[in-house]
Parts: sequence; C-alpha cells; structure tokens
Amino acid sequence: MNDAAKRPPVGMLPTERIDYSPIAGRKVPPLPGGARMVVWLIVNVEEWDILSPMPRTVLTPPAGGAPSPDIPNWAWHEYGNRVGFWRMLKVFDESRIRATLAINGSAIKAYPQIVQAANARQWEFIGHGFTQRNMQKVEDERADIRRTREVITSASGKPPRGWLGPGLTETWETPDLLAEEGYDYVCDWVLDDQPVWLKTRTKPILNVPYTQECNDVAMMLIQHHKASEYFDRARDQFEQIYEDAAGGPRVMALVQHPYIVGAAHRLKYLRQAVELMAARKDVLFWTGAEIADWFRAGTPAERA
Amino acid sequence: MPNPTLPRERIDYSAIVDRPALRLPSGARLVFWTIVNLEVWDIGKPMARQVLPAPTGQPMLPDVPNWSWHEYGMRVGVWRFFDLFRRLGIRPTLSINARVCEDYVRVAEEAKNAGWEFMGHSYEQGPIHKEPDQAAMIARAMGILEKFTGKRPVGWLGPGLTETYDTPELLAAAGVKYIGDWVYDDEPTTIRTANGPLVTLPYTVELNDIPMMIVQHHESDYLLKRTIDQFDRLHAEGANRAKILALAIHPYISGQPHRIKYLEQIYEYAARHDGVLHWNGEQILDWYLAQSGAATKAAE
Repeated sequence: MNDAAKRPPVGMLPTERIDYSPIAGRKVPPLPGGARMVVWLIVNVEEWDILSPMPRTVLTPPAGGAPSPDIPNWAWHEYGNRVGFWRMLKVFDESRIRATLAINGSAIKAYPQIVQAANARQWEFIGHGFTQRNMQKVEDERADIRRTREVITSASGKPPRGWLGPGLTETWETPDLLAEEGYDYVCDWVLDDQPVWLKTRTKPILNVPYTQECNDVAMMLIQHHKASEYFDRARDQFEQIYEDAAGGPRVMALVQHPYIVGAAHRLKYLRQAVELMAARKDVLFWTGAEIADWFRAGTPAERA
Repeated sequence: MPNPTLPRERIDYSAIVDRPALRLPSGARLVFWTIVNLEVWDIGKPMARQVLPAPTGQPMLPDVPNWSWHEYGMRVGVWRFFDLFRRLGIRPTLSINARVCEDYVRVAEEAKNAGWEFMGHSYEQGPIHKEPDQAAMIARAMGILEKFTGKRPVGWLGPGLTETYDTPELLAAAGVKYIGDWVYDDEPTTIRTANGPLVTLPYTVELNDIPMMIVQHHESDYLLKRTIDQFDRLHAEGANRAKILALAIHPYISGQPHRIKYLEQIYEYAARHDGVLHWNGEQILDWYLAQSGAATKAAE
C-alpha cells in the first residue's frame, strides 16, 4: 500500500495534527497565584432518544438482543436528569465550584430546568453532539456541530467555546469542522496532562485534557467496579498529578454523568472526591474555557 | 406501530426539586420495598441469563447447565427467602411469571399462604417484544394469578422490565394499576394511557442482583455494601420528602449459600434505623393515591 492509499479521504491523521512530545521538560505558562494544578469537573447531560437503541444499558433483555423500545434503560438514564443531577448540584454548590456542562444540543429543550440551574451558577456550556450517538454515524457532521452551537448560544447567552464528542467520537475531519464552526477547544484527545495544540486545515484548535480514566462511564458501566472506586481512583489520580505538578502545571479532569454518579448509592463518593481536592489551597477549580485562556495566553498556537 | 406513544407523551420531564414533597405516615422517612422475582425458564428456548457460556461461545439448545443453575433457585434458594421473611415478618411483593403457578405449585402456594403480594410478571420469562399477541399474554397471565390467589393483581413488572410502546395501554385495559418498569424517579408518578392513568412505582435496576451480580460481576458482599450506601442516602433525604428504597432479588442469585448472609445483613442494618416501613407495591400505591391530588398533579 502506498502512502496515498493510507490517507483518509478527508481530514488528517492524528499524527499529522500533532507531533509526539514528552511532557518532561516541556515549557508551559505558570498558573496564577503559585497554584500547582487545575481540576475541572465535567457534568455530561444527555438525551437518550427512545426511538433509537440506548447508548448504554444497565440491564440486557432476557435472552439478549436489542428490542425497541428499551424502556428500562431509557428510564434508568432519565432518573439522572429527574433526580441524580439535583443531588450532584448540592455537592458543587457546597464547594462553590463551577462545573463545565457538556450537553447534547437536543437536551437543551428536553431539560430546561437543568439549563436554568447551570445558567444561574454560571457554569460553562460545551457542545456534546446534537444527539447522543457516534459522530461517525451523524449524517451531516458540520450541521450537527453548527446546530449544537446555535441552541447553546440561545440557551446560555454565549456561543460554546468547547466541544466533547459523544463518547469522545470523531471522524477524520472533526477538528477541522470545529475550528471552522467557531469552537476554541476540543476534549476528545485524552493524550496528555497539559493542553496541546492540534493542527487543522485552517487555524489550530486547542485540546484540553479530558479523561476516560476518571470517568464514571468507564469505571462503573464498562469495567463494572463498585461505587467506591470512583473516589479511590479520583484520590489516587489527584495525588499523583499533584506530585507531578512540582515540575510544571498539570490539569486533572473528573467526569460525571447524573445517571451514574448521581445514583443515591454513588453520590457520596463524588462528594468525598470533591471535598478532598478542594481542601488543597494550591489547586484551582476552573472550567474548560478558563484552562484554555490560561494556556493560550502563555503558549500561542504559532509557538506550539 | 405507525404512531407509537412515546414516554414523553405520557408524562413531561419533571425535576424532583420542583415537586411538592410526599409525606409518609407517622414521620417515617422511607419505604423499604422488597421484590422477589420468580420465573420459568423454558428449556426449549435460549436461557434468559447465563452463568456459564458454552465453550467457544456457540449457543446451544438445550442449555442444561444454565437451566439447572436457575432451577436451583426454585428447588433450594427460594426456601432461604421464605425462611428469612417469615422470621422478619416481612411480606414482599412477588414478581411472578404466571406459569410458576402451573410448574411450581409448591412455591406459589407457599408465597400465597405467607401473604405475599402477587405482581404480574408475564406468562414466562422472555422479552415482551417477542410476544406474538401481547394483549392475550397479559390477559392470560393476569387470569392465572387471579384464579390462583383469588385476587386480581394490581401491579405489573415486564420481564426484564421490557415494554413495547403500547404496553401501558394493554396493561391499563387489563386492570393493572401500577407498573415497575419505569425506574426513572425516587417517587411514584402517574403516566397517561389511552385506557386511563397508570402509576409508576420506583422499582430498581441499581439495587437488583441481576445487574450487580450477573451483568456487572461484583463480589457477593457488594449487594450489602451498595444497599447500605443507597439506604443511608435515601434515609437522610427522607427527612424532607418520602423516599422509596426498592430491592429486587432472585432466588437463583441471592438465594445462593454464598450470598444469602449478605441479604440477611441488609435487613439487620435497616432494622437498626427508625422511620423505615416495609410495604409492598399495593401499599405504596394506596398511600400515593391517597396523597391529596398527588396523582393528578404529577400527570399534568
């Protein structure tokens, strides 16, 4: 196979967007006030379309298969938005932390009370696909990205600056489309503990460190750990990154879904994790855009 | 179906914090709702669940190892349940495939005599989507349970909680008053059907031994651990509004010797707390309907 045959028809290979770079010795701008690290909390609010297969399942149907409609799994997710989200909100309020809300465009209309609660607390809204499905299966990706931007702009009063693909999925072209549609940063590339610049066919786009490791979907639904693993892993991740940050600023993400960590039996592990991290004075709790602004000011794209 | 009624057309999204609080009698904080599931796994069909996949993963019929794994629950495990609930004086809700009344008369009689509530749970275990005539199956299942107990059941749980879009209409027409399939809230809600309202009770896929043990593969003691965490949280929240803690168990899972002690310890833990009512589904339904205007408000 020659090189041309290996190339995607549109977009770029990841290795064309970013060179390999070891974090050791890399120069990044210092954090204000002598802070060592930044933690950002990302709350994912989704709408699961009852007419499609559910994105995740807690209970498979007897004898398998994927019959539609899937009421038990739809309702299991809906619980998060009716009950779980409101539990999580108290944790953020008590620690006075502004979260970043990754929200499906369609969820804006489905859950206006959640939008209102996030607006009242000045949380940052970021795009998370118009619907909860693989971006590779979206018919018109640009239209999806644009439409999500429009509904978030109208719901929050300002255009979203960040984007997280549903399930972190991308096509070869996603970063190009995001840059062209006015997004400043993306979170799908979980390849570093510091923000990095990605080339696109126009201007570069920033990637802010998100996580599949400290993420309740991976821990609870895929790896099937018991609830306390959410706290244990967050603590271990936090302590190690805090130590690493002696050599320069680092970013830690902690991800929540209301239908998972908002369940009554899991909530306390989120609370414990937030309280543990918030007790350190030299740790900043920022939203994605605040991380992006800090990094861009000290490391403009042209120097990347 | 050309024009299915979607869940959102049956009830609007509602944030729990926007609703007036429901209150339990005598200042109780939560209702502990125990649901025991009894099923018939037809040896002529693929088994509902598998503890042991066949070598090389090829499905095979008959599936004797997994059939007999479930059968253990009916021969041995369920008697550990009867013993436990007799000692505690608790009468659970029995989610029962109607065919259990035909194939396992001994077990069904024991539950009837112990005063357990019979809740409809299909004729036999399999996704409801595959029923060729769902209305007839529901009528048959309800009829068998009515004849067996002398009382028509008021509750229904789909097999594996499954429904088609028109299941709520068919259930309401068959005289069902509450369903357990909508695990989307901590409180009962009222949904619209073309045949009158149906109440949803907060059943659970979280405190349920199938997801925990068979799907997520947790260790045996995790049933106790998760239930304590769920209990603590709901008991605390129950100071401000009524909470319902559902616990769903199956004799072939929680009735195993290595798991039963964790189930027993759950009830010991609950007994050390004030403000806990052990009610069955029908009692929760009656309480909810009696809460002034609650049903009407929730539906609008």
